[in-house]
Amino acid sequence: MKDRLEQVVKKFASQCDYLEAHVEETEESRVTFSGPRLEDLGRKVDFGGNVRALYKGGWGFASFNSLDRIEEFAQNAIDQAKLVGAETSELAPVDPVRDDVLLDLKNDPREVPLEKKVEILKAYNEQALGYDERIVSTSTRYFDRNRKFWFANSEGSLVYQERIDLGGVVAPIAAKDGDSQYFGVPFGSSDDFGVALGLEGKIDEVAEITLGKLDAPKVKGGEYTVILDPRLGGTFIHEAFGHLSEGDNVYEDKNLQEVMTLGRQFGRPILNVYDSGLDKGLRGYLVYDDEGVPTEKTYLIREGALVGRLHSRETAGKMGEQPTGNARAIDYRFEPVCRMRNTCIENGTCSFEDMLADIELGVYAISAQGGQTNGEMFTFTAANAYMIRDGKIAEMVRDVTLTGNVFVTLENIDMIANDRRPHDGPGGCGKAGQFPLQTSHESPHVRIQNVVIGGE
Amino acid sequence: MREIIEKAMAKGASGCEVFFLNSLRTSVDFETGRLKGVSRTEERGAALRLVKDGKVGLATSTKLEDTDRIVDDAIATSAHGEKAAFDFAGAAELPDVCAASGEVREFDIDTAISQTEAEIAQILDYEGEINAEGGTFLDLQEIRVATSAGFDATYKRTLYKHYLGGRLIEGTNMLDGGGYYGSTVVDAKPEALVHDVIQQFKLGRKNVETKTGSTTVMFTPRAVADVFMTLYLGVSGSIVDRGISPLQGKIGETVFDERVTIMDDGLLASGYETAPFDDEGVPMQTTVVVENGVLRNFLTDLRTAKKLDLPRTGNALRAKRLVLTKDLGKVPAPEVTNWVMAGGEKPHEELVAGIHDGVIVDRIMGILMSNLTAGDFAGNVAYGLKVDGGKVTGRVKDTMVSGNIYKLLRDNLLEISSDVELVGRLGFFGSHYFPYLLMKDVPIATKG
Repeated sequence: MKDRLEQVVKKFASQCDYLEAHVEETEESRVTFSGPRLEDLGRKVDFGGNVRALYKGGWGFASFNSLDRIEEFAQNAIDQAKLVGAETSELAPVDPVRDDVLLDLKNDPREVPLEKKVEILKAYNEQALGYDERIVSTSTRYFDRNRKFWFANSEGSLVYQERIDLGGVVAPIAAKDGDSQYFGVPFGSSDDFGVALGLEGKIDEVAEITLGKLDAPKVKGGEYTVILDPRLGGTFIHEAFGHLSEGDNVYEDKNLQEVMTLGRQFGRPILNVYDSGLDKGLRGYLVYDDEGVPTEKTYLIREGALVGRLHSRETAGKMGEQPTGNARAIDYRFEPVCRMRNTCIENGTCSFEDMLADIELGVYAISAQGGQTNGEMFTFTAANAYMIRDGKIAEMVRDVTLTGNVFVTLENIDMIANDRRPHDGPGGCGKAGQFPLQTSHESPHVRIQNVVIGGE
Repeated sequence: MREIIEKAMAKGASGCEVFFLNSLRTSVDFETGRLKGVSRTEERGAALRLVKDGKVGLATSTKLEDTDRIVDDAIATSAHGEKAAFDFAGAAELPDVCAASGEVREFDIDTAISQTEAEIAQILDYEGEINAEGGTFLDLQEIRVATSAGFDATYKRTLYKHYLGGRLIEGTNMLDGGGYYGSTVVDAKPEALVHDVIQQFKLGRKNVETKTGSTTVMFTPRAVADVFMTLYLGVSGSIVDRGISPLQGKIGETVFDERVTIMDDGLLASGYETAPFDDEGVPMQTTVVVENGVLRNFLTDLRTAKKLDLPRTGNALRAKRLVLTKDLGKVPAPEVTNWVMAGGEKPHEELVAGIHDGVIVDRIMGILMSNLTAGDFAGNVAYGLKVDGGKVTGRVKDTMVSGNIYKLLRDNLLEISSDVELVGRLGFFGSHYFPYLLMKDVPIATKG
C-alpha cells in the first residue's frame, strides 16, 4: 500500500504545489442495548481513501472506495484545485516523516470475542434495569474500531499508523408520569479494553442519581456562582476556548486576529490551558495528525494570557506560526480541519472545600451531557447538579444548562482546585459536518462567578 | 446485491435484506469571501441484515468486492444477536414520487461558483467587514433495497443544499448571520436567502438588554425546527417501545392546543427525505401525527409496527439520529421524514406588531444536549431579537431560553402564523415547513 501511494503522489505531484494521498481501513464492532432489547450487534468494514491537492492556495479533494481508480481521483483533486487556486500556497514547513506507528496495547479489544463483549454489556444492562422498577429503559452501548492509516505526500512523507479507539456508556433511564431522566457511566480508551470492565459500582451510583433526578426540582434560571466538577470542567474548556483557538477560525479573519492576538489576557494568572496529542491511552492520543505532522503539547493559555493556537500546516503557514499537529478528519470521506486532541485545564492550588466555603448561593454542576459554541458564546449541560447554600452542598436540581461568553467567563474563573482528572467517553466533537471525532479532556474542579443558567 | 442475498441464504439465513447506497457528492465552499475548495466524494457501500436460527445479524461494508466478508460478518453476529421480531418487506406497490423519476441533474460547478460569488458580493455590499462564507452541495444518490421476501427496488435522488452566511466582529462582539436552502431540485432561490442573511445583520447589529423571567417568545420556523427535536423523538415508535415517550398511550387523546396540526410527509414534493420506499422497503406515505391537537399516529418501522400493533408508516431510516444523513452503519429505526405544520390566521409580521414586550428566538445553540426525550430543551439564544411595543429594538445576547414542548404546545400557545416557511440546516437534513409560533410565559434567563 505504501508503495502504491508513493507512486501516485510522485506521478501527479508536478501538476500542483502540494499533493497528499491517504488510505484507511477500519473494522468496527458494536453492541447496543436499548432497554432489554439488543438493538444493534453489528460489524463494519470501511475501506477507502482520498487525494488532496493544493494549487495556488486552492484545495481540491476527492475521496473514494475503489483503490483501483486512485489515479482518476488524483487527477480530479488536482483539476478541482486548479479551479479554485488564484493566490499563493503557504504551508508551514515540516520535516518529511517516514515512520510506522504500530499498536502498543494494554488490553487488546480484538482479543476479546464478540460473545464476551455482549455478555459483559448484557450484565451491566441487566444490573441497571434491575436496580429499581422506575428504571424502565437503558442506553447501554460499546464500540471498538481497529484502524489502519496510510499517508504519503509530495514532500516525501510516508506514514503508516495503527490506532485503536473504543468507548461506551451504561445509562439507566428512569420514568415517572410522562417524565424521563437519565445519567450514565461513560468510558473510552485508545489502548485498554480494561476501561470497559468493573463498572458495577458506578452503575449502582448513577442508577441512584437517575432516580433522584425524577423528583428533583428544575433549577431556577438566573446568574450563579458555579463549581464545575473535573468532567464538566473539561467540556467547559473545550467549548469555551478550545474551538476559538483553532487556527482555521482565525487565519484569514483580520478582525478575529485582532481579538485573538497572542498575549491578550483572557483569564486570571491562575488559568493555564493546553491541548496535547501525547497522552497515551486517551482517545485524543495521536502520534501524527492527518497531514503527517507529529503532534505535541500545545499551550493555549499561560497565566491567563493567550500563548498559542491549534494549527494545520496551512493555518500555521499563513499566520507565520509553528504547525502543532491538529489537522484531523473523522475518516477518509473528509478533509482534515483544525481540531482538538486532549484539552486540559492545569491544576490550581486550592481544594474543593476551599471553593465551597464562601458561596452563599451557587450551583455545583457535575458531569457533562455535552456543549456547543459559536466562538464568542458557548453552552454546556451538566448531567447532574446540586444547589450550594451557605457553603454547603444542598438539594439536587436538574436541567442545568450553563452559558458563557469567552471574553467574560474565563476572566470570572476565580478558583482552580488541585484535583485534576482526565475524562473519556463514547462521544466526540463535531465541526464542519464531521462528527464524532474522538477527543479527550482533563480538568480539576473550577469555580466561576456570574454564570447564566437557563430555567424558569 | 443478488449475490449477497444468495450467499447469505446459502449460508443458512432464513431471510435477509440488503441496503445499497451509491453516492456522489460534490461541494463548493467559500471562506472569507473567497472560493476555498472543491471536493468530490464517491461512496459505495452495503448493509446486510439477516435472520439465522431466529436471530438477527448485521454487517456493513464499503469493500464490496469482498461479498463473502459482509455475509460472514452478519452470520457471525447473528449467533449472539437479538431474537428476530419482524418480517422482511415483500413486494409492494410504490408511490410515484419525483425522487424516483430518475431526473437527477449533473452538477455545474461553474454556475455554483458564480452564483455564490454574486451573493457574497451582495452581503459585502451591505457591510465590507463581514467575513462571508457560502457554498453549494450536491449529492447524487442511488438507493436500492432488496429482500429475500421479494422486495427489490431502486430509486435515484438529487440532494441539493445551498448555504450562505457570515460573521461580523466589532470589538469583541460577534454577530453571525446565515441561512440554508435544501431541496431535491437544483434551485437555489438566492434572492430570498441573501435577503434573509442581510436582514439578520441589520436587525442584530445593536445589542439590547432583556431580563430573567417568563417572557412572550416568538419562535421562528428555524427555532421551531430546533425545539421540535423533542417531538421527533416523542413520536418515534422506538421511543414509545422503550416506554419513555411522554406521548405513551395517548393516541386519540388531545395532547396539544387544538390549532396544532402536524404531518410527517414522506411524499412531500422536493422534500429531502421524500422517497418511494423507506430503508426497509416499506412504501413511504403521508402520516397525520397531530390533528387539531389530537395525537393520531406514531412513526414506525417494521419491528415497532409489529410489536406495538401499529400501522406501518414507512419511516425506517438508516440515519444518524436527528441528523438524517444516510449512515450504512445504523440499524433502521423510525425517524421523521419531512414535517409540515399547518399555519394559523395572521402573518408573522402582524404577530410581531402585537408583541408588547418579548423576544424573537431564531437560532438556539446547545439544544441537542437537553433532555429532549422528556420534551425539555434549553440553549443559548445564538440569534434572538428584543421586541418592545411591536418593534424590534435590537439583539439579545448572553441569554438562555428553555421550556418543555409538551407543556408549551398545550398551555402556552398564543398564535400560529399563517406563513409557513421551508427550513433547512447545514448538517441536518429533512425538509420541514414550519410556521412562526408565538408563546406566552417562556422561561428566559440572562445576566444580572
